Amino acid sequence: MGPEQDFEEKERERKVRRRVFHLTFASLALILGGFLIWKLSSLVLPIIVGALLAFLFRPVKERFKIPWLPHELQVLCSFAAIGLVLFFAFDTARKHIPDDQQKLEFKVRLKYKLNEKYQQLMTKSPEGKSSMLVGLIEKQVGPLMDKVNELLELDPQERELFLKYRAGYNGNPPIENKFFEYFQANQNTRKYVTPEEAPAAAPAATAAVAARVEPPAAREGSSLEAWILAPLIFVFLGFDNGQMRHYFISLVPNRYFELSLTLLDRLDDAIGKYLRGTLTECFLVGLTLCLGLILLGIPVGPAVAIGLISGLVNAIPWLGTLIALVICLSYALIAENIAPLIPGLNPNNLPLYVLILVGITRVLDDVVFQPFVLGSAVNIHPLVVVVAIIGGSLIMGLWGMVFAIPTVVVVKTAIETLFKELKDYRII
Amino acid sequence: MLQKSPPNHDGPPNHAGGTLLASEPRGMSSSAKPMSARKLVADKLLWETLKRWKRSSPELDRIQFLKTVPFFNELSHRQLKTVSDTLFERNYETDELIFEEGQPGAVLFLILDGKVAVEMCRENHTTTLAILEKGAFFGEMALLNEAPRSANARSLERTYTLALYRNDLSRLIQRDPQTACQIYRALASIIGDRLRSTNELMHTEIPTDKV
Repeated sequence: MGPEQDFEEKERERKVRRRVFHLTFASLALILGGFLIWKLSSLVLPIIVGALLAFLFRPVKERFKIPWLPHELQVLCSFAAIGLVLFFAFDTARKHIPDDQQKLEFKVRLKYKLNEKYQQLMTKSPEGKSSMLVGLIEKQVGPLMDKVNELLELDPQERELFLKYRAGYNGNPPIENKFFEYFQANQNTRKYVTPEEAPAAAPAATAAVAARVEPPAAREGSSLEAWILAPLIFVFLGFDNGQMRHYFISLVPNRYFELSLTLLDRLDDAIGKYLRGTLTECFLVGLTLCLGLILLGIPVGPAVAIGLISGLVNAIPWLGTLIALVICLSYALIAENIAPLIPGLNPNNLPLYVLILVGITRVLDDVVFQPFVLGSAVNIHPLVVVVAIIGGSLIMGLWGMVFAIPTVVVVKTAIETLFKELKDYRII
Repeated sequence: MLQKSPPNHDGPPNHAGGTLLASEPRGMSSSAKPMSARKLVADKLLWETLKRWKRSSPELDRIQFLKTVPFFNELSHRQLKTVSDTLFERNYETDELIFEEGQPGAVLFLILDGKVAVEMCRENHTTTLAILEKGAFFGEMALLNEAPRSANARSLERTYTLALYRNDLSRLIQRDPQTACQIYRALASIIGDRLRSTNELMHTEIPTDKV
């Protein structure tokens, strides 16, 4: 055997050894990664949120460039600017967050108004006979109303606190007479479905409500601790100046070097455009609803709060609009003192106007915001959207619903780009 | 990896030692003298270590190397540091393909050490167009567009390269327009020179009456 053959033989053996080592290492890393994700599942969401925020705010950080300032100081300055804006935003929002007294008033008013509207809708004829349609609706909506009433019922402590506030407590002005009347009327709210009509459903619903109302305190504490990770991840990813990308690219074999660079870049571009586009779209939807509600005479505080929530849930396709509609209609049903800028508008026909407003916002979103902000960035089949939202809600509740579509978009873009680039580089 | 600079045996600057001796208080006892001599030796050692460490840091070595590359020779130290931060280090074994003809180009390669053959394959026949060595660069057209590579690049021995990604250079336009502009100007000048030499070659190869 010549020296060249010997060298080739050794090289072949080395190649096999390298392959075995890589495979073993990758399998171990996968197993360890899976185990850690399973064990530390409570940390996953804060990490994702922190990373997502860092990703979203990266353009702000990159725009903030002062050549003579070290990178770390530049990042700190950009964080300070972001922090300052967020602080003022939260400070403004905080002023509109209701205190304990306002919360109690709101709960009492909501229960009273909902029942009042429901009873108006279900008004029977003077002879006491209800129409067949009304009877049918009553049969279907009645149990739901009972559940809502159960949820809005003040517990003994809240009732005691309400009576204290009624007399003037904690330096607050006494609760208005009309709220006290609502409170008294709520005490006499009857059940819309008699126990014989729904024998099994009610206890199950009560148990479900009770289970939801009493989360274990320890669990709450641990999840709060986990959320400290989110700002930490945000800050440390913010300080990263491409080192992480360099590190991961250094692990890639030479053959896939250019491919992985292009792939990462395309993914970053597509996902960045989608996420930032969605954020802008949500902001525009929230702003439209907020301005519309102010135009309809709803006070600025609730209008801003409804706009914020509606904007946030707008990230959930279709369902977001439905949730926004429910929130807006719920408020419209209980609104009393409105100062509308549109003539002829009163609390009785406010729900109709709110319905029109939500419709207009939806059309604006479809016709103007989405094409303008998102373009045709990502098209997902409606069936995939529905399945993803349901799946997301089953796995992680509301957060799962919000993150379901971005996750689908990331996976879809990654697969599409990967296959395209693999073909371009003649690897497959 | 980057080649380490040879250890520096230069002594500390004279003024350092001079200052140290001059600062010695007058009327010091004879026992204090060996102490200050020991201190002087310790300082000298520390100075040399720091100097050697500073000179052999991979980042500085890389910047020193970049200064020798025609692409970057007009850039300042600060600008070279900015460019250096965006470069990827890639090592290739003997006879390893760096890129293949027809693949979309994305990266310019600078040879830190080693030898690379640029070759073209036509009908089972390979023609070597050039053999590039330390300090040379190849794949520069990839910095301009995504056009497919026009030739293969293969390492002839263990080769260390630095790679500059097209989109990193594009992003540099936003972050540091002056640096990016200087690099693009150098690139345009190099491509212009190559076009001129190709034209000259065509004129010498093809007689004027046949054109």
